Amino acid sequence: MNESKATSKMHVELATFFVGEALCGMDILNIQEINKLMDMTKVPQAPSYVIGILNLRGQIVTIIDLGRKLGLGSTEATASSRNIIVNSPGEHVGLLVTQLSDVVTAQMDKIERSPANMGGIQGEFFSGVYKTEDKLIGILDINKVLRIEEQGH
Amino acid sequence: MQIEDDEILQGFIEESLEHLADIETDLLAIEKAGANIDENLVNKVFRAAHSIKGGAGFMGLTVIQELSHAMENILGMIRSKKLVPNPEIVNVLLQGSDKLEYMINNIQTSNEEDITEHLIPLNAIAEANSAQVVLPPPPQPAPEPVAPAPVTTPDEPSLMVQDTPTPVQQEAPAPVVPQPEPVTLSPPPPTPLIPVTSSPMETSSAPSMKADTSLRVHVSLLDSLMTLAGELVLSRNQLLQTISTNDLRNAEAVGQRIDLITSELQEAIMLTRMQPIGNVFSKFPRVVRDLSKQLNKTIDLTIVGNEVELDKTIIESINDPLTHLIRNSVDHGVEMPAERKRLGKSEKGLIILKAYHEAGQVVIQISDDGKGLDGEALAASAINKGLISAEQAQIMSDKERINLIFLPGFSMAKKVTDVSGRGVGMDVVKTNLDKLGGQVEIASEVGKGTTISIKLPLTLAIIPCQIITTSNERYAIPQVNLEELLRIPANQVKNRIEKVGNAEVVRLRGNLLPLIRLSDVIEAERSYWDPAEDEQKADRRDSIADRRGKHSPLFKKAEDSAADEHNLDSDNRVSSDRRYSSTSALNIVVVSTNSMKYGLIVDRLQDSEEIVIKPLGRHLQQCKGYAGATIMGDGRIALILDVTNLARMAHLTSIDGTDRANEVALAAEELIRTQKDRQALLIFRSSEHEQFAVPLNQVERIEKIKRSEIEVMGGKRVMQYRGGSLALFTVDDISKVQPIVDHDNLLVIVFNLCSKPIGLLAIGPIDAVEISSEIDGLTLKQPGIMGSIIIDGKTTMLIDIFEIVQTLFPDWFAEKPVFEAVKITGITPTILIAEDSNFFRNQVKGYMTESGYNVLEGADGAIAWDLLQKHADEISMVVTDIEMPNMNGFELTEIIRKNPIYNKIPIIALTTLAAEEDIAKGKAVGIDEYHIKLDKEKLMTCVHDYIKRLH
Repeated sequence: MNESKATSKMHVELATFFVGEALCGMDILNIQEINKLMDMTKVPQAPSYVIGILNLRGQIVTIIDLGRKLGLGSTEATASSRNIIVNSPGEHVGLLVTQLSDVVTAQMDKIERSPANMGGIQGEFFSGVYKTEDKLIGILDINKVLRIEEQGH
Repeated sequence: MQIEDDEILQGFIEESLEHLADIETDLLAIEKAGANIDENLVNKVFRAAHSIKGGAGFMGLTVIQELSHAMENILGMIRSKKLVPNPEIVNVLLQGSDKLEYMINNIQTSNEEDITEHLIPLNAIAEANSAQVVLPPPPQPAPEPVAPAPVTTPDEPSLMVQDTPTPVQQEAPAPVVPQPEPVTLSPPPPTPLIPVTSSPMETSSAPSMKADTSLRVHVSLLDSLMTLAGELVLSRNQLLQTISTNDLRNAEAVGQRIDLITSELQEAIMLTRMQPIGNVFSKFPRVVRDLSKQLNKTIDLTIVGNEVELDKTIIESINDPLTHLIRNSVDHGVEMPAERKRLGKSEKGLIILKAYHEAGQVVIQISDDGKGLDGEALAASAINKGLISAEQAQIMSDKERINLIFLPGFSMAKKVTDVSGRGVGMDVVKTNLDKLGGQVEIASEVGKGTTISIKLPLTLAIIPCQIITTSNERYAIPQVNLEELLRIPANQVKNRIEKVGNAEVVRLRGNLLPLIRLSDVIEAERSYWDPAEDEQKADRRDSIADRRGKHSPLFKKAEDSAADEHNLDSDNRVSSDRRYSSTSALNIVVVSTNSMKYGLIVDRLQDSEEIVIKPLGRHLQQCKGYAGATIMGDGRIALILDVTNLARMAHLTSIDGTDRANEVALAAEELIRTQKDRQALLIFRSSEHEQFAVPLNQVERIEKIKRSEIEVMGGKRVMQYRGGSLALFTVDDISKVQPIVDHDNLLVIVFNLCSKPIGLLAIGPIDAVEISSEIDGLTLKQPGIMGSIIIDGKTTMLIDIFEIVQTLFPDWFAEKPVFEAVKITGITPTILIAEDSNFFRNQVKGYMTESGYNVLEGADGAIAWDLLQKHADEISMVVTDIEMPNMNGFELTEIIRKNPIYNKIPIIALTTLAAEEDIAKGKAVGIDEYHIKLDKEKLMTCVHDYIKRLH
């Protein structure tokens, strides 16, 4: 037990996925499940990044288009798109992503701060970047993604 | 202070609160029993106080320990019969237990509480008692044996010393206790006033917070839940097995099984939320007792239906409104004992609190036998407050007046409530109940008492809803908000939907109802449902009444034009028949919220369903239009609409209390004005161009016949009808109108006169209408025609069926006892007619004079009353209209009945549309008979009967 705790401090398992063209990742422990349910109910007047609500085994889950939320353009529902259901205080929220990728084990000390030029909308949602041999993963700060903006939309 | 072990402390708190909950009822029972002590009961209370003391001592809660010890002392004396419990003692004990409860609920600060105000009376009782029982010979040592036990306030010895000698001087032990009591208790009284009034609030709010965290569930219920859960697991295994073996036949059976178990499970889980209403009721004996004592009244409270169960949330929130209503009944409802005696009631007031099931709802009824609500006083104070105008008050029914107490602002001024008697924050009660989906009704009779009925749903978790579709999504509208469903057929849309400025309205039974398009409010795409192709289509019309196709160049918007051109061909095809196709029919859901009513235009109406409300996520909290969401049978989600917020979003101006009252009053006024001479008429024709009408209530039935069925016998037209001959006539038999047309298909309107049927030949179109326009009794008057009236812009002649029949068949009326009464007495009886419409007055006067009576006429109730007073000796009967200016028929009857000179005079009321309610009201004020205007035969028979009886 202690050992695993120690290692988890050293490493973090990142679930990675594509939002549009961008490769993003988040701590796998934040994820409750991933599904491809697309039978959503539209909610008129909802913030533009909310694409609808979904019945997940009797629970009502708000689905957020991660692409639109990050300012990367809206995500199309295709055969490869998935909902990543994450725990949020008091409820579950789904994040619609373009495509799933691998689970990457990242070393904590290799995670770097977001580059300074990654400002604007995107910058505030990323807590850092992680560089593997062939790709760069933007690590999402899930709390910031799920935070409600007072101004809405 | 510091508490070491949270768990033990929590245990102590829970246990103590349980004890305290029982103490209250037990103490009241002890008080009732008086000297007749039930040892078990006293033991129980004693043990409760004792264990609280023990626990508190262990936890280091010294103040709680001290108070419970003092209480235990007294209880011990009661137990050993050294002390007879009387109301004062019980009062002190009750206040002590309140304080204990308060301290236990605020355990962390309990040691800083000041409890001297409780200890003084408690110890005084104990000392007085021990002094009197134990020590009759030596008066002085009395304090000594008592002193060690309560180590209390030495600053008050004067009081104690003062009362110790008293028992010695007076030897009789029994009356001793009450006597010193006033002395010792005189300091506390100001304080009880505050705790008594505030304690219901305190005790109610504190436990309701607690109730959220834990709940008592019966073990048997828990067992059945376990069994069901076990079965669910078994079925799941079966299902998994079925899936893995791909056994479709079995899948169906398993599916059914799971379905069954799930619904049973749901029911059982719902049951765990059900709590007996007795949990709330149980505190009211105390409330009534304390309050009636404070007000010097004696009141019995009877509680019925403790076992009725309601959802936990409802039970918790019903507490405050109920307390309010009970306190109102005690405070304002039941009179002072002296007053009651004077009125011939028993001195003891009675309040009945009752809960029972009715039509799937729970009804809670609070009735008292007090002075009741005086509608007029209420109206007067509402006028004073400027909530309504005097004119509005005048036309209000008594029920409406009583309901004035629910108006916000009614109770604000103390002076007003003093006059009206009731209404302290009743609007708050109503608002609270509204939130629960409950309804309040008040029935009251001055001098007899008031009954307030509250109807509550069994549970809040499941609500019935109307499901509708708009823009391809389903939405649910709670049935509580639903008034009615309206469908305007395509060919009426243009006439019934009007545009006032930018707002669209529909005319509904004479009122304008604002319309909102659901799709516009929530900014969804406008659409309509095409039944032919069974699909939703986009709708781009600007105005509802506009039925042009979207290809119309006038309505082509820039962004639409491309699409339009593309679809032009198909649109042309559709638009040609759209005008009358059901596609253009409008579906309107008429909804109401607190203060307003409006129509919501939706694409399709679907079933009504019972739905389970689920909250929406945080991200959707800003969408005010929804009250939540629910999962439909097919697994998809439907949003629940919040009707109030939708109105706000559509910028419908909300109508506040005053305006609403105004509107209601105007509507009522309108109703009365139109109802004044409202007549239900049957319209028919005899020739193409002349329209006739007869009062609908005279018509027995309408038959369709062929001309060949008419036989002419002995110069008279007859036809076979129900095994006999039916005499037939036409309007032109008597009146100078155009002769009946020579159609093959005719109508026979059958009347029943002198208990014989008679048929009037006519042609269509026939229609039944209700009109309120003035009848002109002069211009077109001629034999057989009593007057004319304008119906839908067409002059219509009103047939006088009696006159026609009388002329055609004079012998039918021959046996009528026209002058019998006169013949007997030799005096012509005089009848007073009160009627504001000239036409009807002349008609009725005609009937009377024709039969040989003298007639006096008054154009309203007030004039009639003057006439009656002037000609009191002559008038033997009053015939009155109901709706009249100045004094209406009810009021006229009331003052006649109140006056001993006239109260024997028979009163016959004439009405155009006799509603059950009116008839009942009329009977109540003393109207002898009700008759329909223009039903001459029945009216005259009745008049003859009464005149005969008089002589």
